Amino acid sequence: MSAAVEARGLVLLEQLLRDRGAIRARIAAGRDLAALTRVMVATIAIAMAVVGAALGSYRGGVQIAYAAIKLPLVLLGTAALSAPALTAIGAALGRRARLSADLALVITALAFGALVLVACVPLLMLGRALELPYHRMILATVAIFGLAGVASLRVVVTALAREAAPGCTSAVAGLCIVFALVGGQLAWALRPYLVRPRATDVVFVHEVEGSLFDAIGGALRSAQGIYTRDRAPLPDVDAREVEP
Amino acid sequence: MSLVPAPIPARLGAAALALTAVTPVALGGLLALRTGHLAPLGAVPAVVFGTLAATSPALYIASAAVGTAPPLPLVARAFATALGAFGVALAGLILPAAFLALSSVEPRTAMIVASGAVGAAALLGLRRLAIELAPDPLTPRIGGSVVFLIWTAATLGIAARLWLDFAVEVLA
Repeated sequence: MSAAVEARGLVLLEQLLRDRGAIRARIAAGRDLAALTRVMVATIAIAMAVVGAALGSYRGGVQIAYAAIKLPLVLLGTAALSAPALTAIGAALGRRARLSADLALVITALAFGALVLVACVPLLMLGRALELPYHRMILATVAIFGLAGVASLRVVVTALAREAAPGCTSAVAGLCIVFALVGGQLAWALRPYLVRPRATDVVFVHEVEGSLFDAIGGALRSAQGIYTRDRAPLPDVDAREVEP
Repeated sequence: MSLVPAPIPARLGAAALALTAVTPVALGGLLALRTGHLAPLGAVPAVVFGTLAATSPALYIASAAVGTAPPLPLVARAFATALGAFGVALAGLILPAAFLALSSVEPRTAMIVASGAVGAAALLGLRRLAIELAPDPLTPRIGGSVVFLIWTAATLGIAARLWLDFAVEVLA
């Protein structure tokens, strides 16, 4: 990367943190969106790798690298699968169809959210330092990701509110639903990120055992007393002789 | 900035109508892939277009009877625009729907995802139709709105029933 390009990238990041209005204006005008998107994709990749490494450090070892690789994939994959929904739903209701601008907007919003997450990394590290119990660490992670999600959503909503085109509200609502569904499933498919410190073996991804929604459906059926298995797969149980 | 919906330009209109023709087949293909039945390939477009073909004349007749129908060419154009909106919306939803359906193990999940996608696209298409048929939102006509609401409920009800029968048959 040349020094000029690097400097331009840093200027864009500075703008993203301090003057998001200028970035919104650039996206609205359609100025050099490819360069903007490239910088924001790189920002997401690096920032989420840092956040993933911080999450992985709860267990330590190879899990740091695993989570650092997977977390950027989740966010970028979800963005690529979900961004066309914003354009399509808006266009269906009469908003001007601008796929590249919408993609740049979604990626920019996610880059801002990723930077918010990076700002929260010390909190994750504090949890690690205080040896916060696993479930409390999970709750803290959910809260931090929720905060970043709200920050990202605000960037999209503000940009579309200024546009004041028909169908904006439905487009944002549709994007949120699609993003939550796709992001939830992709994150589920690539789990785990946060692993108990006492875990002896860590895997890059769990074996394919259905989608998040299959699991939710199974949990709902189990809650109603409808079981599809004879017994739950407990560790060590298979190794022992079990009376029927 | 105007809050009046931008009309779908001629080029995008043709592309949108092409998407309307292709996306239900693609969604059917997705279900066929997941369930192992070929029936969804024809059934999805049949439910969508069959229901609309069967109920759309009723909307014009009822609207004309209460005196709120625009001229026939405008109604035809409104339907074409709404169909285009349906196709564009479904095109935007098909990628996430494909991911969700193909990454699930249970065919039921794929059916729920496909139902959600086609249902959301249908609602967006109907909303666009309502906008196109009421070009002056500042002076809404109660008679026309009532007719449209009843027609929408009937159309969605018929389509939902057909879709449910189709889903039960495919998942059986």
